[in-house]
Amino acid sequence: MANLIDELRIKIIDTLKLEDVSPEDMGEEDQLVGGELGLDSIDVLEMVIMIEKDYAVKIDNKELGARVFANLKTLAAYIEKTAPKGIF
Amino acid sequence: MGLITPLGSGVDRNWTALLKGKTGIGELTLFPTANDLFFPVGEVTESFSPEGAPRTHQLALMAAEEAVEHTKGAPDAIIMGSTTGGMSRTEVLLKDKQLDPSLFSFSYHGAGSVAEYLALKLKCKGPVITVSTACSSGGAAIAMALALLKTGKFKKILAGGAESLCRLTYFGFHSLQLIDPHGSRPLDRDRKGLTVSEGAGMLLLESKDKAIDPEAIEILGAGLGCDAYHPASPDPEGDGALSAMKEALKDAGISPSEIDYVNLHGTGTIDNDLAEAKAFNRLFDEEQPLVSSVKGAFGHTLSAAGAIEAVVSAKCVEAGMAPGSVGCHTLDPRLKLSPLKESAVALIRTVLSNAFGFGGSNASIVIGRSRETQGAASPLPVPLAVTGIACITGAGDISETLNAFAKGLNCRGLLSEKEISRPLSTRAVRRLKRLSRMGLSLATAAFENAGNHKEPGSVFFGTGWGGLSETHDFLEALYETDERFSSPTDFMGSVHNATAGRIAVKYSAKGPNITTTGGDYSFEQALMSAHLMTTETDKPVLIMGADEFHPELSGIFDASVRKAETPSDGGGALLVGRGKPGSGLKLEPLFYENANENPHVISSLVQCLGGTEKINLDFGAVFAGLPAASRIMGRKQLDLFIQTAGFNGPVIDYRRYLGEFASASAVATVLAASLLKTGEIPSTLTEKETVKLKGKGIVLLGLGNFVTAVAVSSA
Repeated sequence: MANLIDELRIKIIDTLKLEDVSPEDMGEEDQLVGGELGLDSIDVLEMVIMIEKDYAVKIDNKELGARVFANLKTLAAYIEKTAPKGIF
Repeated sequence: MGLITPLGSGVDRNWTALLKGKTGIGELTLFPTANDLFFPVGEVTESFSPEGAPRTHQLALMAAEEAVEHTKGAPDAIIMGSTTGGMSRTEVLLKDKQLDPSLFSFSYHGAGSVAEYLALKLKCKGPVITVSTACSSGGAAIAMALALLKTGKFKKILAGGAESLCRLTYFGFHSLQLIDPHGSRPLDRDRKGLTVSEGAGMLLLESKDKAIDPEAIEILGAGLGCDAYHPASPDPEGDGALSAMKEALKDAGISPSEIDYVNLHGTGTIDNDLAEAKAFNRLFDEEQPLVSSVKGAFGHTLSAAGAIEAVVSAKCVEAGMAPGSVGCHTLDPRLKLSPLKESAVALIRTVLSNAFGFGGSNASIVIGRSRETQGAASPLPVPLAVTGIACITGAGDISETLNAFAKGLNCRGLLSEKEISRPLSTRAVRRLKRLSRMGLSLATAAFENAGNHKEPGSVFFGTGWGGLSETHDFLEALYETDERFSSPTDFMGSVHNATAGRIAVKYSAKGPNITTTGGDYSFEQALMSAHLMTTETDKPVLIMGADEFHPELSGIFDASVRKAETPSDGGGALLVGRGKPGSGLKLEPLFYENANENPHVISSLVQCLGGTEKINLDFGAVFAGLPAASRIMGRKQLDLFIQTAGFNGPVIDYRRYLGEFASASAVATVLAASLLKTGEIPSTLTEKETVKLKGKGIVLLGLGNFVTAVAVSSA
């Protein structure tokens, strides 16, 4: 899971063009949306797409999104649980 | 009035179907989708000609022909709401990589081309304006038509909106998770979003004579405003919606208790309906009028919605009936509304109709029986007094541009995105592409130039082609992934008013937020809108024009760009005060006519500017806008102007210095203002001796397919 979290850090910075953020700034239990990173609902949608594209995991409603995108740990856990077998 | 929607063609057919509670929402047949994604749409079932103009244009013409069928002569002006223009055709050509710009189809790409197509068909010689404020476009177009009628200069204006289904909006709203897979259910507890739809609504508006016809239905007032909250989500408290409704009532001179029925924007998205209901309840805190949403019947016709619903509102008054909220089965108790579920008979004298859009751009209009209190032509507003200016060109910012321009050096080329974004923080621009960066940067620089005093309260932005990078990137990602994935950020950025919406958020500018588009005359349209739609206010008005060069798209869409040796882009911004004329410079839009089949356009221009003597007295120089694609035509117009006006001052052909991009005139206006401050036109520009302006102003002429005049002069 630690590897996945590291990977997600880089992918999120890249997807959301967080040029002024470095991976180590993102604590795995830091609030992901609405926190210091300044991410909003549109960023969530961009992350939804990235996660579906790269991990074949669908997050297609707001309630689920709110739980999954709470922090990096919850996101990684959901991906590991839901991704089709063989993706990792 | 004229209507075409998924419910049918013609006002009567639509009205009957609407009252019966029918819905036009159904299966998508217009284009295949490559994957298993499927959700319903509103599709017009009339037959279309596969040749000729794109679907949006044909829809607009069908509704326009119905609207004008009982009148003689051409309308004096056309004002359209449009967002995607000919996108339904363009996106297919791009998908198939048919990038030959000589394909005539691309001349119908621009959002402004819908209005121009109507002008051609209906032989309108006056102003042809396109308001592009996403889903409020149709309502905002009617608001602008009303303002134009009130000047007393125009008697008959055709206004409305048209939109056709296309992949951009179909997949775009999907990427934002704003589509209800079951079809739109406005105000319903289980609603999940909107249904993308298409159609057109057109209204022929005539200024009324002094005698009040008791049967006449009028646009009694209009209110514009901006949430200044978020690019794609409404202000959850409904502040922006409330303010637009209040402004409309104020403009009509009536109180909330005089409203008998409210036609909600009511898209069926969770957030819109909640925010709008809050605003409604705040406005009608004592007695609630009848209220419903028709989006479950029509679907969301985006830029046409405000106009289609204005027609519906007028029918409500005429027939004494109001439509039900089709699709609303179990009312959402959180809304605290009692909407009509089915159509009802009622005495309806006055209706309030809402249209809200991306970028937080809101328009409300009041429609009702003729009232004695209204109808007097408003006096022309006071001039716009310039307090701050900024520009971006290939040469750099305003000082770099001015430096080069005054030396007669060229300012063509493309500034790097890093340079463009110089006044902005990394965080502020992370989601912005070239045009939005340019716009935000220009706004920031104009505000600084004015001394960072009062932040702008309203924004008027002209752009020939909008956010080309976002449009391109959205479609490219969509096609590359076999229509599975596309970026919601790009979709939000692809609407023409995305830039003006961003600026509004930055400055909390909650006044009118209008984006206009019409090729090389887009900035002039924005200036005209600002002149018409702002009243005396403490807060400055930001008037801008900007366009980005996109390596793949600019040359396809813009014939002048195609002819240019050096790719160029840029823009200009002017912060103006709207109150007492200041001690500085004033800015005035003076003339706007269609040159097509209008042989007297130049004599009409000369007459409008006050004739030979006055022109030479008022103006020390002409800045001529000669787009490369219509240079021969423009040159002839210019020669005729110089000859007819007997103008003997210098004429500066500014595109030679700035390059070819649609809003070059915005930069030219800023440069004219700068030169006026120095009081002279340097010899490098006159190609003879230095010309002292001696208190005279500069007139900027837009030439080619349209002829426009803008004056910059000492206050």
